[in-house]
Amino acid sequence: MEYQEFKSAVLKAAREAGLEEYELYYKNSSEMAVSVYREEVNQFTTATGGGACFRCIVGGKMGYAATECFDEEQAASLVERAMDNAASIETEDEVVIHPAGDEYQKVSRMPGEIPSADVMTSVAMDCQKRLYAEDARVIDGTQSRTLAEKGMVCLANSKGLDLSQEYGVSAVAAISIVQEPGEEEKYMGYKMSLGEVSEVDLADLAKKGVEDALSVMNPGKVNSGKYKIVFSGKMMGAMLSTFASVFSAEAVQQGISLLKGKEQTMVASDIVTIVDDPFYPDFSVQMPFDAEGVATSTKEVIAKGVLNTLLYNLKTAKKAGKSSTGNAAKESYDAPIAIQPYAFYVKPGEKSREEVFAEVGEGIYVTELNGMHAGADPKTGDFSLSSAGFLISGGQKQGPVKGFTVAGNFFQMLKDIELIGSDLEFHAPESFSVYGAPCVVVKELSVAGK
Amino acid sequence: MIAKAILNRVLARAMSTGADFAEIFAERTLNKNIQMVDGKVNEIADSLLSGVGIRIFAGLRCVCASTTDLSESGLLLAADRVASALSGAPAGQPIYVKERIFGDVHPIRIVPSDVKNKEKIDLLKEACFTAKDYHDEIAQVAGTLLDVDHNILIANSEGLLAQDRQIRTRMVVDAIAYKDGENQTGHCRPGRRMGLEMFETVITPKEVGEHAAKQAITMLHAGYCPAGKMTVAIENGFGGVIFHEACGHSLEATSVALGRSQFCGKLGQKIATEKVTAVDDGTIPNAWGSINIDDEGHPSQRNVLIEKGVLKSYMIDRFNGRRMGMEATGNCRRQDYTFTPTSRMTNTVIMPGEDKNEDIISSIEYGLYAKEMGGGSVNPVTGDFNFAVREAYMVRNGKICEPVRGASLIGRGSEILQDIDMVGTDLATGQGMCGSSSGSIPTDVGQPLIRVSSITVGGR
Repeated sequence: MEYQEFKSAVLKAAREAGLEEYELYYKNSSEMAVSVYREEVNQFTTATGGGACFRCIVGGKMGYAATECFDEEQAASLVERAMDNAASIETEDEVVIHPAGDEYQKVSRMPGEIPSADVMTSVAMDCQKRLYAEDARVIDGTQSRTLAEKGMVCLANSKGLDLSQEYGVSAVAAISIVQEPGEEEKYMGYKMSLGEVSEVDLADLAKKGVEDALSVMNPGKVNSGKYKIVFSGKMMGAMLSTFASVFSAEAVQQGISLLKGKEQTMVASDIVTIVDDPFYPDFSVQMPFDAEGVATSTKEVIAKGVLNTLLYNLKTAKKAGKSSTGNAAKESYDAPIAIQPYAFYVKPGEKSREEVFAEVGEGIYVTELNGMHAGADPKTGDFSLSSAGFLISGGQKQGPVKGFTVAGNFFQMLKDIELIGSDLEFHAPESFSVYGAPCVVVKELSVAGK
Repeated sequence: MIAKAILNRVLARAMSTGADFAEIFAERTLNKNIQMVDGKVNEIADSLLSGVGIRIFAGLRCVCASTTDLSESGLLLAADRVASALSGAPAGQPIYVKERIFGDVHPIRIVPSDVKNKEKIDLLKEACFTAKDYHDEIAQVAGTLLDVDHNILIANSEGLLAQDRQIRTRMVVDAIAYKDGENQTGHCRPGRRMGLEMFETVITPKEVGEHAAKQAITMLHAGYCPAGKMTVAIENGFGGVIFHEACGHSLEATSVALGRSQFCGKLGQKIATEKVTAVDDGTIPNAWGSINIDDEGHPSQRNVLIEKGVLKSYMIDRFNGRRMGMEATGNCRRQDYTFTPTSRMTNTVIMPGEDKNEDIISSIEYGLYAKEMGGGSVNPVTGDFNFAVREAYMVRNGKICEPVRGASLIGRGSEILQDIDMVGTDLATGQGMCGSSSGSIPTDVGQPLIRVSSITVGGR
């Protein structure tokens, strides 16, 4: 059956089970992706699907159950399983279903329709041709991809809420592989342009994609020691993504985040401001309500070094005697409520990248960090990451270097940020979260190399 | 899950525009995930995944579609979507799928979906309470008990119809030790392709809790690892992640077929020291990464990847095998029906050698003993890999000395294989979730204690 029919069946089953507080969350999406290898389409993928997650309060405890199978049997089973699961919950945190009545801000950008298969294919083919034309050293293995996704989130509950919001993301990606003739070493470059597939500037994407690969050819090594480190905007954004959970009130209340007791204190250098913006104008994953139906808003999480607020959902806000910041989120439709930021970024400064290098004088510009999921631990703040980038010497960017690690502690690093560039860059959205930053200069970090 | 007559019609529809091969992958998966923090159950996730992925090939082209609509009309619509990407004529032969039973070598005694929450919670509590009570400095313990009941059906235009039911159980306990404004963590994350009997026959919840807590306390009292090139001894069990990252991913057809692996064209060549024999084996009974059949219905098999240093085989799926002109090896895997399947690892290990553990340690004048590894990653194009060390100790004059924290190991796959110069005798495995283009799948890594003569250690 269709979702609307399934929704009626679930809500009816909930009422019949005598439930008073319950909610149904639904997320669907349609996707299309094309990948070109050599000058042929080698993968073409389409997907449509959706899942629903029911939750209810029984005896003051919240129980969840989810399904992708929309039929009568599952409608009844969802309610039964959620009630059974609620009975096993032991935490005494107060839980609530959010009532209607919030004022929701309008999004400034709606997702476009998924382009036709022809457009998706011809853009990917065109991109691939341009990559090969860019430089004679571009070799097979080089791939171009187009992808487009569009979906909807719906939330209906026993307190009168009935919300829905469309979201979408589309992009063209160029993965270029280059090799010097007669040599064995291969180098890879990766660039992605977000935006309507047919409107992406392919000439620019191909040029930058190949440049990215060529720029790292024949890398040198660095000696072990302490260096001034400039993280590129993308890499600082990756750091924020990895350590975002430390700003979650849930992690703080569970004693898992070291920001416990740090609200309204200096946690970063006074030039650092970190913004969480559900309505960042460049993205069509803007969200006026969170996964609990609370209205979202733009806020400075760190303002000039001071931890202004953590990110709260209803449960953690209640426990802290505060209001939700509208950051309730689900990792996937079937996951329990957690906490996530939206467009989460370091506010840019005034100086261009070149001016930043000039001011730094000597150091390393880090443009690649690997193994974040293992080499960085939000619980301790420690990181030790395989890195690549460029030497900075005489105030200018020099040749590529790789095969070294950069190690430090995220909390200390925030305090050691000396300078922030103006070149704000974002990663691709991960669900409704997008991480970004301009390049930042960290006073000193440990490097293991030669 | 789906009637044969419908499978036949959907396959025929998918082939209607000139595809030379079509496949239906249907899945119905129950996931249960009980979480405990602060000694109390705080969340239970309980979901049913249900959907179908359809694939067609036309030469070296692959077209995929997935849907959650399992009605015949929904399946035909998805078949139309894949077919619309081609514009040829149908081959015309009718398709009749015939069921084939490959058997199941993974007996399950206590099927998790038949067990009440309460009994699972008791197991989790025993682990979490043991960890919390281990030491005053254990500030927090988070535990999760996961069980998965993954039912798959594969039908293809060659007439194959095969099904498998994959039940897996895993406990994850993370302990946090706190002192003077500093956190350190300890983990224990055992899993098996088994039911809840794994907590009787493999590891008890108490042992899980103790392991996590002990590691967190050890690391809380450790200094930072020094940086630089060193000789490193990597312990068995999850230490095998070094082969998985440094070499395993680069042997998957996913990167080999597209010429994106450092091991392209190296079959029959010596790529490692003679001490190294490595195997990917999806047939080990009840092992975490085992499968009876892979996600394109190919029976799982034992593949010798490297024998005494010589590259013997890649891990190959049907589609990439076409480009490579090679047979599939039973390694085609996908997280679920929404992902495009590709070649992946199952249980991948370095086989036991002849060096004694004490000889390996005593051979190191100055270096690192990596007792337990964390995860890592690799770029198969360049072979650059990295991984984190969860628990490490300095080695001086052949003796294991003080613990050190925050270490990571980096290098290149082709180089490290030439630097594995001692291999111990006692093989053990560790469980991981491996992430790649076809999603997150359970894989075992494993090895005996090994010595790497020189590798860059990231520290401070």
